[in-house]
Amino acid sequence: MAAVAIHQFAQCITCHAWSPDQSMVAFCPNNHEVHIYKLFGEKWERVHVLQKHDQIVSGIDWSVRSNKIVTVSHDRNSYVWNQEASEWVPTLVILRLNRAALCVQWSPKENKFAVGSGAKTVCICYYEKENNWWVSKLIRKKHNSSVTSVAWHPNNILLATTSTDGKCRVFSTFIKGVDSRESGASSSSNLKFGEQIAQLDLSFTWAFGVRWSPSGNTLAYAGHNSMIYFIEDVGSSPSAQNVALRDLPLRDILFVSEKLVIGVGFDCNPMVFTADETGLWSFVKFLDEKKIAPSSSKYGSQFSEAFGKLYGQSKPAINSDTVESSRPRGGAHENCISCIVPLRKPGDTIVRRFSTSGLDGKVVIWELDNSI
Amino acid sequence: MAKKNSQTEYRKVDEKVQNFVDEDLTKLRKAIRLRPLLSNDTHQFATTLRLYLTCIRNTLEAAMCLQNFPCQEVERHNKPEVELKTSPELLLNPVLICRNEAEKCLIETSINSIRISLKVKQADELENILAKKFLRFLSMRAESFQVLRRKPVQGYDISFLITNYHCEDMHKHKLIDFIVQFMEDIDKEISELKLSVNTRGRLVATEFLKQFI
Repeated sequence: MAAVAIHQFAQCITCHAWSPDQSMVAFCPNNHEVHIYKLFGEKWERVHVLQKHDQIVSGIDWSVRSNKIVTVSHDRNSYVWNQEASEWVPTLVILRLNRAALCVQWSPKENKFAVGSGAKTVCICYYEKENNWWVSKLIRKKHNSSVTSVAWHPNNILLATTSTDGKCRVFSTFIKGVDSRESGASSSSNLKFGEQIAQLDLSFTWAFGVRWSPSGNTLAYAGHNSMIYFIEDVGSSPSAQNVALRDLPLRDILFVSEKLVIGVGFDCNPMVFTADETGLWSFVKFLDEKKIAPSSSKYGSQFSEAFGKLYGQSKPAINSDTVESSRPRGGAHENCISCIVPLRKPGDTIVRRFSTSGLDGKVVIWELDNSI
Repeated sequence: MAKKNSQTEYRKVDEKVQNFVDEDLTKLRKAIRLRPLLSNDTHQFATTLRLYLTCIRNTLEAAMCLQNFPCQEVERHNKPEVELKTSPELLLNPVLICRNEAEKCLIETSINSIRISLKVKQADELENILAKKFLRFLSMRAESFQVLRRKPVQGYDISFLITNYHCEDMHKHKLIDFIVQFMEDIDKEISELKLSVNTRGRLVATEFLKQFI
């Protein structure tokens, strides 16, 4: 029940993704590059640097079966990277966006990927064999603000999105020639591309981190008002549950199983949510036991010191009436956690390990014990 | 005769100055007597200050949840939304924390930036001018403070602008500590400046009037 491994890879990490066998990790060190590290024995070593973007990379996803990496960036472009021999070869995807791309995810069958953008649109990209080209189809005029997160339903047709207008939406992304009619559930495959199936208006403010449960029955997303929302049976008769948090809002969430959710965010500590037999969701605990940091000696402000130097005045010892200064958190992460990724062993149905990365530049691997 | 006249005049002036200096001295003594009380926790003044600062600290703690967010309106831009205010949905409700009419703190939050504006206590004209000059001195050196805004928001004395980049580089709790410490120090700094101005005024007056003795 704790952090298995903590790796300080960079100053700050925006997002990360694991190779199918989990021997390599790709992450963006808060700039235009993507670094790929490989584990050699005990040590992580940098094996590749993907340089093609010219602004900060906002999303990375590594497909499990086809071993392709897709990256999106604030420079409005996306690349699909294919490993040929020892090199990663990029293919430019013309997203037809005029604003930054914010998030990306491969579909479960890996024949499509979805990109959320600041242009208030979602791009569904698929591969055209004839042209050797990734084609992008847009879902336009459905969002009123930036799309912060996208999530694929296991049936490869439905896509859930969250946006800074506070809404969570579900779309059909059926593309003729790419998806076959039998592929999804009968009801969802009859829908046209870009048709909105549901709009969930639960949050009053920005929504982030939408995810489907492994079966696709439950949808969960987080609101910036420190709430997490669980919606059952989105298609037919949706029923929603709101769980309010005591602490700071969440940024991303992960379904470990149908009944267990991990949320990460500004609290720098993963939170565990579970559903009981009746399907009632509740907050259980923080994953990282907080160590009480010994109260550090109070420091005088740099400001008064500097001022004292400037004027050559002797400063009386202040601090007798200082408000107690906040303490650094003693957990694995020291800054906001922005990304949580499952570590799925091939053939394993239950996720027991996952990794988180955040603004403190660490990638932390967690392992769940059997108590939850 | 003429000499005598001038002597009485000198005495008059001297008395006036003495009165002035005495008044000043009593004020100074009062101030000195007050000072230890200022740092006394049981004193009401200090307690309300503490409550005020704790309130600000807790508000900042909750409000400083920032993330990188590119501009929705302009291509390839990434600017603090709290300054541009282009998309109303990216702004949160501002919070105003007041200790009294003269001392208040406005916290405006957006998705990628937070703006904290302070109004510092100014009891009299001397404090007013001292605060103005002092905060101007700081604002002109805004680069070295990183989070200081070059110009205060209208109606306030000094403003801070914290963006997601600051939160990436610096610890959040240290940033909050800095703001709170700044607020704590600014009052002390100004009352100290006021004291030294008065002391200096007295010294100058004594030196000046020595020539008439």
